[in-house]
Amino acid sequence: MNIQEYISSGIVESYVLGLTDQEERAEFERMCAAHAEVRKARELFELSIEEFAISNAVNPSKNTKSKIFADIEIENQELNTQRHGNDTNPLYVASDDSRKASVVVSRTGWQRYLAAASIVLLIASTALNFILFSRYKNYSNRYSILLAQQTELAKNNDVMRTKLYTYENTLTMLKDPDMAIIKMPGTNVPSSPDSNSVATVYWNNKSKDVYLLVNNLPQPASDKQYQLWAIVDGQPVDAGIFDLPTISGVVRMKNMPRAQVFAVTLEKRGGSVTPQGPMYVLGKVS
Amino acid sequence: MGTVITYTEHELVALLKDRDSKAFGYLYDHYSGALNNIILQIVNDVELANDVLQEVFINIWRKIESYDQTKGRLFTWMLNIARNASIDTLRSKNYQNSQKNRSLPDNVDVMVKAQTSELNIDNIGLRKILEKLKEEYRVLIELAYFKGYTHEEIAEIETIPLGTVKTRIRNALLQLREHLK
Repeated sequence: MNIQEYISSGIVESYVLGLTDQEERAEFERMCAAHAEVRKARELFELSIEEFAISNAVNPSKNTKSKIFADIEIENQELNTQRHGNDTNPLYVASDDSRKASVVVSRTGWQRYLAAASIVLLIASTALNFILFSRYKNYSNRYSILLAQQTELAKNNDVMRTKLYTYENTLTMLKDPDMAIIKMPGTNVPSSPDSNSVATVYWNNKSKDVYLLVNNLPQPASDKQYQLWAIVDGQPVDAGIFDLPTISGVVRMKNMPRAQVFAVTLEKRGGSVTPQGPMYVLGKVS
Repeated sequence: MGTVITYTEHELVALLKDRDSKAFGYLYDHYSGALNNIILQIVNDVELANDVLQEVFINIWRKIESYDQTKGRLFTWMLNIARNASIDTLRSKNYQNSQKNRSLPDNVDVMVKAQTSELNIDNIGLRKILEKLKEEYRVLIELAYFKGYTHEEIAEIETIPLGTVKTRIRNALLQLREHLK
């Protein structure tokens, strides 16, 4: 087979359109290298195919190009990472300006991705912070309220315990069989400013301790105080001053070894040596 | 219009091997339509062709180092990448379709959708020329070039001797070349 026959056998077209097997391909490449005519024939057919394809071009959709370039940008970025990782043995040597330019281009691409990613992260983080902060505020408020309620309850509890303790003490005292009860009604005092006034003295016959229960006494002016007196052999003896108790209970007064009568007068604040003010109530020791 | 940059094929290849993205843009602008035409003739689906074209250009970018100018023009090299990618896609698509059809025999929606993006490919590119060939040639080109069967496979499909397949394909290609001029 001479060269011309070989060229016109259809091998050129088969090779260009990719329809040859490996053996035919290798042979054709050998022939091309050896004979300029074969090369020429190949180029002619290649050009006619190329021109035909270009004249029959069907444009792809518009966004295809940007998709391809985005993918290539990512590949370049990976390539650069590899390049930086192998500085001692670089895969590619930047030898001319165009290569340098492409490296710069891909670096700015890399930075764009990083910038975009960091903005996304920033927005996400801000949103998260906002959510967490409003939650924190909510819980913080609830905690404050609970804390206030707890404090209030603890205070109430203290008050209740004190009251209970006082009542228990009072009860114990009253149950004592040695306790004498001296009732002091206002009606015993014709000159009492308030005939409804009532107070009671509890006097222990053994210990001689004196306790006072205010049943009903008017609220005194702020510069005045009530004073309990024991009348011993016709002489008033100071048994102690007292305010109207804030919690109803029994107030312990001065120990009194002897007495025939108990009475309450309203004196100046701090008390008097001898009764000066009006007498409110009086009771005789039976 | 501003200045239009043109490269000789030699310059273009050198720049592409240097991974010059401007040259790659030029390559896309000049050849995407031609390659898309080749892909369309094989996959016969506009959307699918776009996907294949995308894959083809990324492969061109990746494999440009392996392109050997002594073995043929750049376009020939790209054409073969495009043709092989299209045939691979067609085969995997046919495979998937056969799987799909097995599980969803009455899926009319999928079939209708597939039809809408199909083209009348008889009128584009080489197929237009194929119409001018004898029936026996047309079938062989269809099987060899557009479907990617080997000569041995075609001999089996058409129940004709392998030697006859080869001769007929070569004759068909020679006629095709005449119509290209």
